[in-house]
Amino acid sequence: MDLDFTAEQAEFRDEVRTWLAEHAPAESRPHEDPAAMREYDLAWQRTQWEGGWAGIAWPEQYGGRGLTLVQQLIWYEEYAKAGLPSIDACFVGLNHAGPTLITTAGDEQKAYHLPRILRGEDVWCQGFSEPGAGSDLASLSTRAELDGDSYVVTGQKIWTSFAMLADYQELLVRTSRGEAKHHGITWLICDMRSPGIEVRPIETIEGGAEFCEVFYDEVRVPVSNVVGEPDKGWRVAMSTLSFERGTAYTASQVRLAELVENLIAAARERTGPDGRRPAIADDELARRLATARSEVAALRAMTYAGICRNLTAAQPGPEGSMLKLYYAEIAKRVARLAMDILGADALRLTSRWDRPYGWSGHYLYSFSASIGGGTSEIQRNIIGDRVLGLPR
Amino acid sequence: MDLLPSPEQLELVGAASEFCAEQLPVSAIRDRRDEPNAIARKLWSAGAELGLLGVSAAEDAGGSGLPFEDEVLLFRELGRRLVPGPLTSSVLGARLASLTGHRDLAAAIVAGETQVGLARRRDGDEGLAYSVTGRFDLFDAPDAEYLLVIEPSGAGLVAKESLADVTPLACIDPGTRLAEASADGAPLLCWVSTEDDPIRLRGLVLSAALAVGIAEAAKELAVEHAKNRVQFGRPIGVNQAVKHACVDMAVAAEAAWQQTVFAAISLRSARADAEFQVLAAKTVAGRAAIGNAESGIQLHGGMGYTYEHDMHLYLKRAHVLDQLFGSPREHLGDLLAEEAAQ
Repeated sequence: MDLDFTAEQAEFRDEVRTWLAEHAPAESRPHEDPAAMREYDLAWQRTQWEGGWAGIAWPEQYGGRGLTLVQQLIWYEEYAKAGLPSIDACFVGLNHAGPTLITTAGDEQKAYHLPRILRGEDVWCQGFSEPGAGSDLASLSTRAELDGDSYVVTGQKIWTSFAMLADYQELLVRTSRGEAKHHGITWLICDMRSPGIEVRPIETIEGGAEFCEVFYDEVRVPVSNVVGEPDKGWRVAMSTLSFERGTAYTASQVRLAELVENLIAAARERTGPDGRRPAIADDELARRLATARSEVAALRAMTYAGICRNLTAAQPGPEGSMLKLYYAEIAKRVARLAMDILGADALRLTSRWDRPYGWSGHYLYSFSASIGGGTSEIQRNIIGDRVLGLPR
Repeated sequence: MDLLPSPEQLELVGAASEFCAEQLPVSAIRDRRDEPNAIARKLWSAGAELGLLGVSAAEDAGGSGLPFEDEVLLFRELGRRLVPGPLTSSVLGARLASLTGHRDLAAAIVAGETQVGLARRRDGDEGLAYSVTGRFDLFDAPDAEYLLVIEPSGAGLVAKESLADVTPLACIDPGTRLAEASADGAPLLCWVSTEDDPIRLRGLVLSAALAVGIAEAAKELAVEHAKNRVQFGRPIGVNQAVKHACVDMAVAAEAAWQQTVFAAISLRSARADAEFQVLAAKTVAGRAAIGNAESGIQLHGGMGYTYEHDMHLYLKRAHVLDQLFGSPREHLGDLLAEEAAQ
């Protein structure tokens, strides 16, 4: 057992660091105007692709580098150390749709979409949840009826980030009613510019501008846009979510570790609750900060071990839910701790995109960690049923 | 980077597991609660013969000379089996003896002929000369000839016969023997400074590994119970209140284990942030062990409250382990004072 990076991996890290220092965007990421967000994210993704850093662990035949998750991890670590903003508009394409297409899609679908995702040409969004199908995703009822060589989609999706500026959507629809409710679901690639789609923004508790609900009124989606087999989309969707829970969180974990260190630095500089000494001199705050350090360290150790396991697995197993659950709980505790360290200053509205620290923005955003991508309660069900083998 | 144990590494763990299942069932802790020692001498020797005390010890001391993480893998298993006796202090004692040229003593410890208990300082300051003075708590010392003393600047061994007023005390854990004693210039047989070898940090990692074993065992007992205990016509594990409690135990144990492995490798490979990683491991493992055993008692209901059930034994040992090499609060303070992780 060892924690050593090979000479090649160390060299890769040096290259990443040098490249990021030279190519990182000078201006900060816009966070209020969706169109500006799209432009910024796609431009930065394209710069990464031109530099040869897009799809580090994706197969070479689809424009990736064909390296392992270890190099992908190194990229995320250096990226977070450089304090760079996450490319949120490209998240679904890079971390959900892309990996799903690689494992499941047909050759033409792969050849068309994968390079476009990597080159920063398309924004993808997710169309899974519905008003009546949240945690109980399999009860989704957005209908798709076959009409010639197209499906005609009617219904509603919700909690879709970046729908207003997305080009494509990973869309789960009901194509038939089987014996079990997770039969008869199909995973479609939906062109978001299709007639009959209406997108309405939803404002979040942090004031975010990218959340949406999407309405479909007889939207035509070509049959050739089915990923996997018709009526068998549930398994495809579960593999999509296993990527989200398994590997996509690596970047978030690395960022959380940076956040904890920034918070410790802030606690050393700021006056604490007694109005005299630094916040870090307060026993309770100090112990919570130290505990956060220990938990973030353990989260990283779990991530590393997960990467070692995934190096030999085609797709992440249900253990990914353990990482996601642990991450969400820590992220929320850390954000709450930031509020307690700030005291009354926490009442000044900030955004998590503010530099150096938008702590109250982080706090409000942190609630999404245990809701998005499957609530913590659902993660606990998955772990209980599939990892521990508890009765349903 | 490779954080997954190899089949060879798991072989010793398997052998230890079999030995413990046959010779050292958890129920033996109850049977021996009134004996002066928590583990019989002949079982201690039998375990030593299997190599349990010499995994990382030098080969010229009768050890196997394997990497520290192999010892950590074994200690997790010993924790899971709740093996009593001065395990960590004997392993560290053999290392100290070996490092200071006391090869015969090291060999005797590894062979299970000589035991080393732990002396934890209660008051007084670290001695200036080659001796210790002050009051100490002794852990698992009834059969020990020596005691391991950890001071801020290093670690040493002191002969038990040089201590005064050794008084056995009742311990909350029936699998741990507690005593108090005082020392007035008790001479150190040997001494290794913290810079030369981080004995305390090794002790913290081994304690963390034992704690992880407890966290896992408590989780496994709770999960089995949730599958088998039927109420309202169904196994109680179908209820989310029970299922989710089991899951939280599993996540705590997994996080603690991965961090303990990370810390063990960091220490063995002298990473710059090794102390940070060790303190983090001790923190998450201590909390996982105590938290899981507490939840385990709750999930077992009335049975969990009885002396006859095993769960309280895990809880009590978890508390002992949490205090052995400094208090959890000290560890948090030390962790916060560290530089950020690498």
